[in-house]
Amino acid sequence: MTVDLAVTDFTAAPAATQGALPRPYGEALVELARQRPEVVCIGADLSGATETDLFRDTLPDRFVNIGIAEANMVGAAAGMARAGDMPFIHSFSVFVTRRCYDQIAMQVAYPRTNVKIVGFLPGLTTLLGVTHQAIDDVALMRALPNMTIIEPGDPGQIRDAVREAAAIRGPVYLRMRRPEAWETAGTAGPADLSGGSPHLLRDGDEGAILAAGLIVPVALQAADALAARGRRVAVANVHRLKPLDTGFVADLARRCGSVVTAENHSVIGGLGSAVAEALMESGVHAGFARVGLQDCFAQGGSTPYLFKTYGLSVEGILAALEKADARRDG
Amino acid sequence: MRTGGGNTPELARDGRRQMGPEEIARKAAAIRRHVIRMIAPRGQGYVAQGLGAADLFAALYFGELTLEPSDPAWPGRDRFYLSTAHNSAVFHATLAERGLIPLSALDDYCHDGSTLEINVSERLGPAVEATLGSLGQGPSVAVGAALAARRRGDGYRCYVMLGDGEMQEGQVWEAAMAAASFKLDNLCVVIDMNWMQVEGHTDAVHAMAPVADKWRAFGWAAEEVDGHDIAGILAALDRARATKGRPSVIIAETLVGKGAPSLEGIRSHNMRLPPDVAAKALAELEGV
Repeated sequence: MTVDLAVTDFTAAPAATQGALPRPYGEALVELARQRPEVVCIGADLSGATETDLFRDTLPDRFVNIGIAEANMVGAAAGMARAGDMPFIHSFSVFVTRRCYDQIAMQVAYPRTNVKIVGFLPGLTTLLGVTHQAIDDVALMRALPNMTIIEPGDPGQIRDAVREAAAIRGPVYLRMRRPEAWETAGTAGPADLSGGSPHLLRDGDEGAILAAGLIVPVALQAADALAARGRRVAVANVHRLKPLDTGFVADLARRCGSVVTAENHSVIGGLGSAVAEALMESGVHAGFARVGLQDCFAQGGSTPYLFKTYGLSVEGILAALEKADARRDG
Repeated sequence: MRTGGGNTPELARDGRRQMGPEEIARKAAAIRRHVIRMIAPRGQGYVAQGLGAADLFAALYFGELTLEPSDPAWPGRDRFYLSTAHNSAVFHATLAERGLIPLSALDDYCHDGSTLEINVSERLGPAVEATLGSLGQGPSVAVGAALAARRRGDGYRCYVMLGDGEMQEGQVWEAAMAAASFKLDNLCVVIDMNWMQVEGHTDAVHAMAPVADKWRAFGWAAEEVDGHDIAGILAALDRARATKGRPSVIIAETLVGKGAPSLEGIRSHNMRLPPDVAAKALAELEGV
């Protein structure tokens, strides 16, 4: 018996290659494309890793492999969008944002072309090291006018994230992550992302944790640990990073006094910054601290190791909450 | 009101051969006069490359592109992408002569609040297919439009005006490789080969030659023409249209300042145009 040694998705954990990998994003995109004939799928030589091999094999006439050329991909997608298409463009988060930033600004954000930018390997979710770690993608996309940013928190939210992106007429950045086989829906709350307001997953008025993406389940664990000690802390999944529901943030902060943000991203420019801006402009004086990469690049390594090393952990969130408590007025 | 001639809407839309080379040359002269008049009030601007490219713009807009002046957004129109979007005076003047914007709009060029910005913006309306000018992006957008046109069965063609210095942008070659790989024969790039970039002669910055061989090596049908020989430009555009299975590039050698002898050959990316210089240039152009 011969063993197939070829790996189409080289980003997947080796153990997962034993069986079929889940492709919730790929399936959601194909489902959308069957309903919306204007949907086209563009890749930059990463069909397996972005789950778009499914689209390529199912709807080949509407699939383009543009090559390892992200700047050209963005421009071409804009040209297609102006012809009436709804292009979903794919690569790793770092390449589909930072590497082609000016192209996105001028050909997508400024003219509001109906291009959906889909990035995989957000933050520290890759073994591939600093070249592939998107630690500033949210900051970059958030700074662009007309851009919407959606980040699902678990596999169950991916389908709705795709539908929400399609429902918005104009630029969207989907911060996507390929789930491991063992991950299940519901660990980051309800699947329905419509409307864009954060999901309040735990209620409480003795502190609040605002989290996005992969760290949402970690935030829930932190809240559970606090609950066991008798402290009721609220947890919200901020799946719509832009536009941020600032009213939700202000109300929660006003009620809870201490606010911690937690994100798989630099603390500069992403969720933490967005919440800080919202708090200041709402006149809410809360104790505040941010969990995330503390203005540094990270080393290469496994996600659990990196999350622990850089404080994207239950311990990191609890320590941040202590800081936030100490920073409260009076 | 249509300026393209022809008696039926269909004829007016089809830019091809509504005018002979002599008539197109007269349009180019009119465009050059607009360029001077538009820039003179500011005393400085994109004069040299505007005059240099006027014959290319006239040949494209009066001899090649299918357009509908009464409806600039008409879906069947050919797509023209001004990748050198700073060459705005000659472009706006061409649109006005073609009837795509009012001639009176040229008076607002570069005024605060005007949609005729110094770097052409789609604020102007659908006659601007994309806001380019962050150099290197035009070919990519055209690749996407050409792919979409082919998939959708739309018959329009896509044209890009590219600068020679702009070829230093790597993205140009990403698009060149993709366009040839995808066999986009509905795409034609016209290079305004004026040998000028911000810091002077292109060769003083990067050795550009051999330009045609570079494009051929990428899989394009390439030919070099005199950018002031209208009949020659039209013939090259005809050959590009007839080329199947690969994209075409027309490398058009142009002289900066062409048409106003007192300005010809002055390589200045953004050139001073004091009143006396403007008046002399205008007098030279009136003689055409």
